[in-house]
Amino acid sequence: MAAELEGSKALGGLLSGLAQEAFHGHQGITEELLRSQLYPEVSLEEFRPFLAKMRGILKSIASADMDFNQLEAFLTAQTKKQGGITSDQAAVISKFWKNHKTKIRESLMNQSRWDSGLRGLSWRVDGKSQSRHSAQIHTPVAIMELEIGKSGQESEFLCLEFDEVKVSQLLKKLSEVEESISTLMQPA
Amino acid sequence: MEGCSEPRLDAKSELVDFQWKLGMAVSSDSCRSLKYPYVAVLLKVADHSGQVKNKCFEMTIPQFQILFIYSWKTQRETET
Repeated sequence: MAAELEGSKALGGLLSGLAQEAFHGHQGITEELLRSQLYPEVSLEEFRPFLAKMRGILKSIASADMDFNQLEAFLTAQTKKQGGITSDQAAVISKFWKNHKTKIRESLMNQSRWDSGLRGLSWRVDGKSQSRHSAQIHTPVAIMELEIGKSGQESEFLCLEFDEVKVSQLLKKLSEVEESISTLMQPA
Repeated sequence: MEGCSEPRLDAKSELVDFQWKLGMAVSSDSCRSLKYPYVAVLLKVADHSGQVKNKCFEMTIPQFQILFIYSWKTQRETET
């Protein structure tokens, strides 16, 4: 195997490129691009299996959402395998996962959401003052704007009017959700 | 999540019904260990003509908390 592939210097860059392509949806990161930028001395034939190995390792770690104990055990096993990784490379991979775990996880969560997600939210309270003796009841007092959209698609905007009663009704529903969340989050 | 910018010029709708579901994403083909809770919402909204449409979307728990806090603050500001 080419000596450059056993090194660890360019590996950080390689993992970034792999993460961009596999998780963050970046188009155009080809194996030739990665090779020429990071391992220019290595032939494509030698580079391909190396790239596949690193991609496989990164995907396994991300798919299992490994914590640091699991990660250490997994990488140690990889160093002991025939045709595995060096301990220097294991250190680079470990550092990469620790630094990028949150972002990668977020991308994986977004990838698995096929319905619209919430992109923006604001409330606007109307300046209308209300007299207790006013004949007007059910005057709109607040506007909620929601921005929703599916992954990779344009946003849809919803503009909803509320009077005081409807704000209370909504809040009652939201309190039900909050209670359900609290129950879920309680330790088993 | 940022707030919306300028007010929309679209006609405003009325919220007729709010249904919710608390879900847990367990696993997917790209991630065997997803394990994240989410709130799915179905809104029934009526436009000025009275036509009712369904709008569905999902929120993460932190996003839901923001909706809850903003709504609670709005209730405080609109109480007579």
